[in-house]
Amino acid sequence: MSISFMSVSFASNNPIDNPLRIAVSSNFTPVLKKLLLEFHQQTNINTQIISGATGALFLQIKHGAPFDIFIAADSVRPKLLEQQKLILINSRKTYAIGQLALLSMHNKAQLSDLALTLQKIPKYFAIANPEIAPYGKAAKQTLQHLGLWQQYQKRLITGININQTFAQVRSQAVSSGLVANSQLIMNKLDGVVIPSSYHQPIKQQLVIIKNRANIDHAKRLSQFLLSPKIQQKIVSYGYANNVLTELPIQPLIRPLIQQGKTNAKP
Amino acid sequence: MPSPDLLALVVTLKMAALTTVILLLISTPLAWFLAKMTSRFKVIIEAIVALPLVLPPTVLGFYLLIAFSPQHLPGQMWQQATGQQLAFSFSAIVIGSVLYSLPFVVQPLQKAFEQLGGSLLEAGAMLGAGPIDRFFTIVLPLTKASFITAASLGFAHTVGEFGVILMIGGNIPGETRVLSIALFDHVEAFDYAKAHVLAISLLIGSMILLASVYLLNLPRRITTNLG
Repeated sequence: MSISFMSVSFASNNPIDNPLRIAVSSNFTPVLKKLLLEFHQQTNINTQIISGATGALFLQIKHGAPFDIFIAADSVRPKLLEQQKLILINSRKTYAIGQLALLSMHNKAQLSDLALTLQKIPKYFAIANPEIAPYGKAAKQTLQHLGLWQQYQKRLITGININQTFAQVRSQAVSSGLVANSQLIMNKLDGVVIPSSYHQPIKQQLVIIKNRANIDHAKRLSQFLLSPKIQQKIVSYGYANNVLTELPIQPLIRPLIQQGKTNAKP
Repeated sequence: MPSPDLLALVVTLKMAALTTVILLLISTPLAWFLAKMTSRFKVIIEAIVALPLVLPPTVLGFYLLIAFSPQHLPGQMWQQATGQQLAFSFSAIVIGSVLYSLPFVVQPLQKAFEQLGGSLLEAGAMLGAGPIDRFFTIVLPLTKASFITAASLGFAHTVGEFGVILMIGGNIPGETRVLSIALFDHVEAFDYAKAHVLAISLLIGSMILLASVYLLNLPRRITTNLG
């Protein structure tokens, strides 16, 4: 009985015909949701967001997941898909450069001085897993740059992605950690932006999956995200400037970066 | 257009209902076979049935994803038979759920069949009832409570499933996005208000379902304790 009831109601329940399916890394999802409102107004294209960890989405695309465009949190997985010839040629583009930030829910006063704050080694410190998460890799490089990696290694609580790390600090389960600057901005929290020179750029790339019916719409979304106006918006949500990545980035607080450099020497 | 969370609820209920029906159809003969089996191989089959209890769901999900994908034989066979891709479809999450919830249905039924004395069945056979007749007139009425327990546990466990579906479903709205995944999405997006609503509904719904099962079994439990 339930089988027939199911197939009937299922066909009628399908909300949108052939929407553009966007697989997006969960740390970019809140920003994308805001941008898609404008995209829909401009193009009238319907979209569906499938949010997940970059690694899991990559695995699913490899096994035939019906996604049209993949907005990843790194450049490793998009490159792998390109090597496996699963994407439209030349569709791999950097749409955002991630920024790290130090978030501490307890002692906000000390945050004005990054290096001093980090030298007081806390009991636990949250970063994303450096082996699998791009923000975790950058966090490790930052601690290495400051010469603090050895001291921090046994204190680290590592999240499977930057969202988990953020949740751990925000819920005060861990007193401080290195999270994505966009998470602070989207959630109206204060923290210290880590100078981009402390780590390799966190290049976040997108790719268009080949052999899908919606390739034209996917191309329009890619163009939209890379347009100067939207790039500016992405930067305002806590990402570094995409065009100027080759140039050194102006530190937000000048003394802070000098302090960091002197500490890095020994 | 219904709200995304409502859509996830509909998908969840469809998936759990269909899974429960399929599970009852598979598990009844399997449990009967296991209950009557005396060979040493019984423990091996029992262990296989119980495996989903101990395997991490994401591990099971990972291997199912590989099996269901168009690159591999089971996925290819499905595609040839139905014309549709198996991975990331509603059928995929139903098959995954059947495997994942199997022990929750087989085990209560097997226990019930084991406790069933042979004398009543022999009496039925002497009076001329065939095996199917005996099952519906003797076994089923006597083990009704266990069937209700098995079906409810299978249903509830499927509703609460997460790791397997996340892997093989692909989180597609209206097709494979179920409540537990919608809830996870809200938590990931720090939308705690929506997450709380889903969490409390799941909690209350499961609580009512489980309490009803125990309530239905209560008279029997008391009499068996006394008797």
